[in-house]
Amino acid sequence: MSDWPEPAVDYVQAITDTKILLGQRYAQWSLAGPSLEDDIGGASAAQEEIGHVRQLVRELEGQGRDPDWLNGDREPEEFANAASLDRIDGNWAEYLASIAPTDRAAWYMLDAIDRDDLDGLITKIGEDEYFHLEYHDARLETLADEDPETIQATLEETLPQALALIGPAAHDESADPLYDAGFTDRPAAELREAFAEHYRELFADTDVSLEAVDWDAPPIGEWDETRRRADAGAIAEADVTQISGKQNELFAMN
Amino acid sequence: MSSASSDPDGAATTSLSGEFVAERRADASAFEQQLWDVLDEIPDPHIPVSLVEMAMIYDVDEADGHVTVEMSFPCMGCPAYDMIHNDVESCLTVLDGVDEVDVEVVWDPVWSKDMLTPEVRSKMNESGISL
Repeated sequence: MSDWPEPAVDYVQAITDTKILLGQRYAQWSLAGPSLEDDIGGASAAQEEIGHVRQLVRELEGQGRDPDWLNGDREPEEFANAASLDRIDGNWAEYLASIAPTDRAAWYMLDAIDRDDLDGLITKIGEDEYFHLEYHDARLETLADEDPETIQATLEETLPQALALIGPAAHDESADPLYDAGFTDRPAAELREAFAEHYRELFADTDVSLEAVDWDAPPIGEWDETRRRADAGAIAEADVTQISGKQNELFAMN
Repeated sequence: MSSASSDPDGAATTSLSGEFVAERRADASAFEQQLWDVLDEIPDPHIPVSLVEMAMIYDVDEADGHVTVEMSFPCMGCPAYDMIHNDVESCLTVLDGVDEVDVEVVWDPVWSKDMLTPEVRSKMNESGISL
């Protein structure tokens, strides 16, 4: 039985599942970076995301979610991760332009939670996220110079997917159920605006144009409020196998 | 002298100064002080000081053999998270008067290096760790 307002458990679940996949993708790419610094940054971020997940899972268990289900004993379609993390193909620029807006969106959502009992946890996560987001922005700026076409084409896909995670534009002060219930202190529409403004400023003086980005996506009629996305895609079975750890549970230390 | 202060409602609050641990221990019973001493023998796996010196132990409460240890971590993604849990539980469970140990991880207040005493800072500096 949850003592959070009705939509809040799904909201935190989507943040948590997105962080599970952030950890997974960071780890998968942590030996593929163009420099040792990029690899170390990715490995460090993977460790931190997994740490965030460990604590968020405790919170979700406290709200009645099943521990085995939370830890990966479920179908790919039951993960509420941002669509931008379903799979990341291509090169390093595509990876960065997929992971960066997603990590930022998840942080904006966490930062908007307005509960005293989660304040310390969120502050602590924010200490890590500060470095993730600073690194991402610095790297996106260099990649915007080196490979603007790839960054632009990828962002045209991943920015709307990150916006879908945050919530539909229609969720303003009068329509966002989480804001209405007092679980968040800002409606999704306000988070989306801050998110969009950040990237417009970041790329303003670069060769990356965000003119073709669909900043209004997703249409509320197509948006799944549980999975916080507008499409039916999902991660691969192989991802679930790795995330659940079941294949190697024999070797767990406790 | 303690730097504990009071909020407007009169509830005691603790500072995040180097006296953090001393303030947290101040109200412990004699038996709880013994438990704190045992925890002060558990080394941080990464740094040459104890969990207590690292200000990771926030509170120790004992009632009828049931011990609750409130603790936090400097790093949320600590790879020794489970190992430290096991260390705390196993070191306390073997003591006379302890039947059960619960470790509760808390994030309020958020751990800060400001909680370290000058002595602990010197010990870390001598080991080549800069703060």
